[in-house]
Amino acid sequence: MKINSLTVKEVFHSLVTLEEGLTEDEAKRRLKEFGYNEIEEVKKKPLTFRFLGQFTHFLAVLLWIAALLSFLSEYLHPGEGMLTLGFAITAVIFINAIFTFVQEYRAEKALEEMKRLLPFYVKVIREGKEREIYAKEVVPGDVILLSEGDKVSADTRLIESNDIKVNNAPLTGESEPVTRVIEPFTGELINSSNIAFAGTTVVSGSGKGVVFATGMRTEFGRIAHLTGTVTSGLSPLQKEIIKITRVIAAIATVMGVIFFATGHFIGRTFWENFLFAVGIIVANVPEGLLPTVTLSLAMGSQRMAKRMALIKTLTSVETLGSVSVICTDKTGTLTQNKMAVKRIAYIGEGIKTEGQGPSLLTVALLCNNTKEVEGNLKGEPTEVALSRAALESIGHVESRRIKEFPFDSDRKRMSTINSINGSIYVMTKGAPENIFTICSHCLRDGEILYFDEALRDKSVSLYHSMMDEGLRVLAFAYREVKSGEDIKSKEDVERDMVFLGLVGLEDPPRPEVPEAIKKCREAGIKIIMITGDGSRTALAIAREIGLVKGNPSIVEGSDFLRMSDDELRMVLSKEEVIFSRMTPKHKLRVVNILKEEGERVAVTGDGVNDAPALKRADIGIAMGIAGTDVAKEAADMILLDDNFATIVNAIEEGRAVYENIRKFISYIFSSNIPEIVPYLTYVLLRIPLPLTIMQILAVDLGTDMFPALALGAEKPSPAVMKIPPRSPRERLLNPPLLTRAYLFLGPIEAAAGLFGYFYVLNKGSWQWGEMLTSNNILYLQATTACLTAIIVTQIANVFACRSFKESVFRLGIFTNRLIFAGIAFEILLQLFIVYHPFGNKIFSTHPISVEIWLILIPFALLLFSAEELRKLMVRKTEKRVNAQGLL
Amino acid sequence: MRDLGLSVYTKIFAAVNEHLNSEISARYALNFARACGAKLYICFIAEKGMSRSSFDRAEDAIKRLFIKAEEMDIQVESIIETGELVKEIHKIVRHEGIDIVFASTRREDIERRFYAGTIARSLSLALPCSVALVRVVHMGRIHPRNILVPIKAKIDHIKERAYFTAKMAESFGSKVFVFHATKPITKFFHGEIHLTPVEWEKRLPKDTSIFMEYLRKYQIEFEGRVLPGTTARSITIEAASKKHDLIIMGASERSLLSSIFKGNPVEELLRETPCDLIVLKPRHEDK
Repeated sequence: MKINSLTVKEVFHSLVTLEEGLTEDEAKRRLKEFGYNEIEEVKKKPLTFRFLGQFTHFLAVLLWIAALLSFLSEYLHPGEGMLTLGFAITAVIFINAIFTFVQEYRAEKALEEMKRLLPFYVKVIREGKEREIYAKEVVPGDVILLSEGDKVSADTRLIESNDIKVNNAPLTGESEPVTRVIEPFTGELINSSNIAFAGTTVVSGSGKGVVFATGMRTEFGRIAHLTGTVTSGLSPLQKEIIKITRVIAAIATVMGVIFFATGHFIGRTFWENFLFAVGIIVANVPEGLLPTVTLSLAMGSQRMAKRMALIKTLTSVETLGSVSVICTDKTGTLTQNKMAVKRIAYIGEGIKTEGQGPSLLTVALLCNNTKEVEGNLKGEPTEVALSRAALESIGHVESRRIKEFPFDSDRKRMSTINSINGSIYVMTKGAPENIFTICSHCLRDGEILYFDEALRDKSVSLYHSMMDEGLRVLAFAYREVKSGEDIKSKEDVERDMVFLGLVGLEDPPRPEVPEAIKKCREAGIKIIMITGDGSRTALAIAREIGLVKGNPSIVEGSDFLRMSDDELRMVLSKEEVIFSRMTPKHKLRVVNILKEEGERVAVTGDGVNDAPALKRADIGIAMGIAGTDVAKEAADMILLDDNFATIVNAIEEGRAVYENIRKFISYIFSSNIPEIVPYLTYVLLRIPLPLTIMQILAVDLGTDMFPALALGAEKPSPAVMKIPPRSPRERLLNPPLLTRAYLFLGPIEAAAGLFGYFYVLNKGSWQWGEMLTSNNILYLQATTACLTAIIVTQIANVFACRSFKESVFRLGIFTNRLIFAGIAFEILLQLFIVYHPFGNKIFSTHPISVEIWLILIPFALLLFSAEELRKLMVRKTEKRVNAQGLL
Repeated sequence: MRDLGLSVYTKIFAAVNEHLNSEISARYALNFARACGAKLYICFIAEKGMSRSSFDRAEDAIKRLFIKAEEMDIQVESIIETGELVKEIHKIVRHEGIDIVFASTRREDIERRFYAGTIARSLSLALPCSVALVRVVHMGRIHPRNILVPIKAKIDHIKERAYFTAKMAESFGSKVFVFHATKPITKFFHGEIHLTPVEWEKRLPKDTSIFMEYLRKYQIEFEGRVLPGTTARSITIEAASKKHDLIIMGASERSLLSSIFKGNPVEELLRETPCDLIVLKPRHEDK
C-alpha cells in the first residue's frame, strides 16, 4: 500500500496533517527530523584526495623511495650529481600524477543541472494561511498550492485538482502533459495520476496537495542519488595502466635487488651498487608512458570531435574501442525523428457521406495540439505530421475547441470536444487497441455499421499489417455529443464512438544507419534497440535497417517489469534483442545486467531519468540536439548530430587508439633495453657507466615523446572493424609485445649503444679496466655516442612500430606525416643535448663528430630490415595456418 | 535472554515521542505485532523540561496508535512515564519481559559520527532485549512491498534475524531481497577479477545461505544476490535502483577504532538510505 492508493481523508491521517496545513511549530520540528528539501551531493572522495592518490600508488611509492635515496646519497656523498637525479625523479612522479589525474578528471555537474529543475519558492498553507516559503523548507505533511507554470518542489499527493496538468518529462521522458486527479490509484507510485512529482512542471490548471517525500527521498532525488553514486568503475585502459605499472615496478625492484646483490658479491662499493640500483629502476620505468598515453587520448578525442562525437572524459576515447554492446534508442538516433503520414487505411473504401460527422482527416487536424507559428507547424512530431497531411488534403476546418482530455500513458489516447457548424463532436485519436475498446460503430464505405467481431478482426489485421511495415499506427474515432450530455469526465465522453480508420506514420531511418549497423555486425558488436514503440513497429524498423536478421527476442515493457533478473539475463544473452514499449527508467536495469555479465556497454539517452544509466554504462552517450543538460552532464560522450552512425565512427576511432597505444608502448619499451644493458655491463664488465641516469630521462621524457605521439595518431586500419571486441582478459602489455620489444628490437638498440660507446673509447685509446672520471671528455663523448645510438635506432624503430604485421611499405612511408615531425623534433632535441653547452651541462654530454652519427646508421637499417623480415615471416606463417585451417 | 522459538516475540514495545517519525516507527511495530500475534506496548517517556505542546503531540500519537491497534485486533497497552528515557525504557523492558523494542532514530543521531552518545546507541547497547532502530525517511510507502536485507559474510543470531525479517515481510505481504555486498576479488598483477552473478552465487557465504534457508522454511518469497562493491554504497544503489521500500540490516559490530579506519556501513546507510531503514540488534540466543 502506498500513499497513492489512499483516499484524501486517509492521506491526512497517514501524514498526520490537516487541510489547514501544519503549524509552524510542527513544520519546524519536521524540518529538523527530515532535513531540507534539496538535492544533496553524495559524499565522495574530495578532489584533493583523488589527486594525492596519484602519489601513493605502487609505482609512485617506488619512485619516491628512489628519489629519497638520491637525496640521502647527495647528503652523504655530495657532488655525485645525485641531487639532480633526486629532483628529476620527483619531477617524473609529479608529471605522471598530473597526467593521470587529467585523464581521470571529470567535472561532476549533472546534479547541478538537476537542482535547476527545482523551484526556489513555493506556496504552502500553514496554520490555515497561504504563505510563500523557500522550497527547501518544505516538509512531509505540508499542504502546497500548485498553479500554471509552477515547478513542483516535492513529491505531493494531490487533494484538490482544477484540471491540473503536469509535464512529467524529467521522470518519464514523455513530454505530453498529463492530467492529475485526486482519486485513489492502485498501482506503482510513478504511474499514479494523483501524484505531482518533484522536478516536474505544472503546465495548466491548479491544485493542492500534501507533501509526502522531500529532498533526496523524492523520485527526482532518487534519480539524483543514483546519478551521483553509480559509476562505471575504472575504464579498461585505467585497469591496464595499473597492471602495467605493477608489472614494471616488480621487474624494476627484482632487477634492482638482484644486481645490487651481484655488485656486492663482486666487490663493488655500496655507493656504486646503490647508484646502479637506482639506475636500474629509472631505466625500467617508462617515465614518458603516462604523458604519452594522455596526449594520445587527447588527440583521439580531437579526431572524434571532428566526427561529431564530443568526448568528456579522456579515458572514454579508448573505452569506446572496447564496447561490446550498444543499447540504443530508436527515435532520433536510428531514425530521423521526421514523422510523416505514409498510409491511411479504412475498413472498405473510406467513403464518407455528407452529414455523417467529421472525417478521419478532420479528426486528425482538430484532435491535435500543433500550432502554426510564422507559417511553420510546431508541436510534437507525430501531431505535426498528422496536421500537415490533413492540411494538404482538406485545408483548414472552422471549429471551436470546447474541451480536451490530454493523452496519458494509461489510456494511450487523447480526446477533444469540438463544435463544428453548430454540432458538437468528441474526437479521439490513440493507440488502436485502446480506441477499438471504446468504439461501438465503425464507418465502412460511407455507412455507419455496428462494430461487430468480424469488423473488429478486420480492423485488427489492418492494424497489424501496417505495423509490420514499420509504421507507427494511430486510430481515429468520433461521436456526436447530444445536447445536455455530461462531458465532464473522459469516461463520460470516450464511449460508443465511431471508428473512422487508421493512419500509419513513418519515421524514416537515417540513411547512414544500415551501413553503421553492418559495420557493428562485422566488428562483433551487439546492438540492443530500446524503444517506446510497439513490438511490430520496432521489429519492422529493425529489419529495415538490418538490425535483425532472424527471429529476435522481443521484450515488451510490461513483461520486462515482471521478469526476474535471471530471466532478463537469459534474454540478453540472445543474439538479437529488442525492447519495445519501454521507458527510459528501465535502461539502468538492462545496463546493470549486461555489465554484470562482463559486457562493455554503451548506452544512449537524452532525458533526466536516463542519467543513472548513462553514468553506469562504460560509455554513456547523450544526444547533443535532443538531450537535456542533465543527460549531457551525466554522459561520457555527446553526439553532436544525434546519429547512431557517429557512435560507430567513434568506436572505430577508439579501437584505433587502443591499437596505437600498443604501438607506442612497443616503441617506448624497446628503448628500455638499451637503457638497462649499459648498467649490466657496468656491473658485470667493470667498465665506466655507458649511459647516465639523466641521459635515460632524456630519452624517456624527451626524444621518445614526439615520435610516440605520432604513432598515437596513426589512422584506423580497415581491419580494425573486422575483428570482434577485444576480450577483457586481453592484456595491453602481453607476452608477444614484451618479447618483441625486450628480446628483438631492444637488443639491437643495445648493441648499437654499446658499439658507439666502445668505438669512441677505443678511438680515444682507452684501455680495458681503466676507470674514467665523470668529467673526462673521452668518457663524456663515449656516453654521448651511446645515447646517440639509441636515438638513431629509435628513428628506425618508430617506422617499425607503425604496425605489428604489415610492412611499412604497404602502409605507405608518408601516410602518417606526424612521424616525420616527431623524428625532426627528436633529432633537434638530440642536437641540443649533444652540441649546446646548456644541453651538455644538464645531460653530461660532449659534442661528437659526424662520423659517429654515420657509423650508427647501419644499426638503424639493421633494426628496420630485421623487423620487416620478422613481419614477413609472421604474415607467411599466418597465411599457412589459415590455409591449413581451410583445408 | 531466551531460546529462540517460532513465537519469539510475544511482547513488543514501541517508543513514541512528539516527533512524527516515532509514530511512523510505531506503525511498523504495530504491523509486526499483528504478524507475531504479540502484545504491543506503546510508550512515551516525558523527559524533564519537555514543553506542554510536545507532551500533547506525543499523547495524540499514542492515542492514534492505540485506536489503530484496537482496529487491528492487537492486544495493546499504552504507557506514559516521566524520567530519563533510556533508564525508564530499561525498567519497563525488565519489568514486562519485553522481547523487542522499536525506536526511531533522530536526525541528530545520524549527524553524529559513529552515532556516539546518541539515544539510539544507548538503547541498542543498554537494553537486555532485541532492538529495532527505525530510520523513517519516506512517508509515501506505507506498506513496504519490497524489503532489502543486506547480510554480512558472518553473522550471529541468524535464526532471529531470519524470523524478524520473515515476520516483517509477512506483516506487509512483502518480497524479501537478500543481498550480500562483498569485496571484489583482486590479484596483484591482474587487478580486479570479474565474476558473473552465477559465479558470485557460488561464493555465497555460509551464513547467508543459512539465512535464506530459514526464509524458505518460513515460506517467504525471496531472491538472493551477491555483488562486489563497497557495502553501504552498494546497498543504497541497490535500494534506489530497484525501488525497495524498506531495508532491514543488522546493527554495526565494529569498534570505534575499526569504524574510524574502515568506515561504518550502518552509519553511512543511516545517512544515505533512500527508503526507510530498520537496524536490528538481535539478542535472542539461537537454539
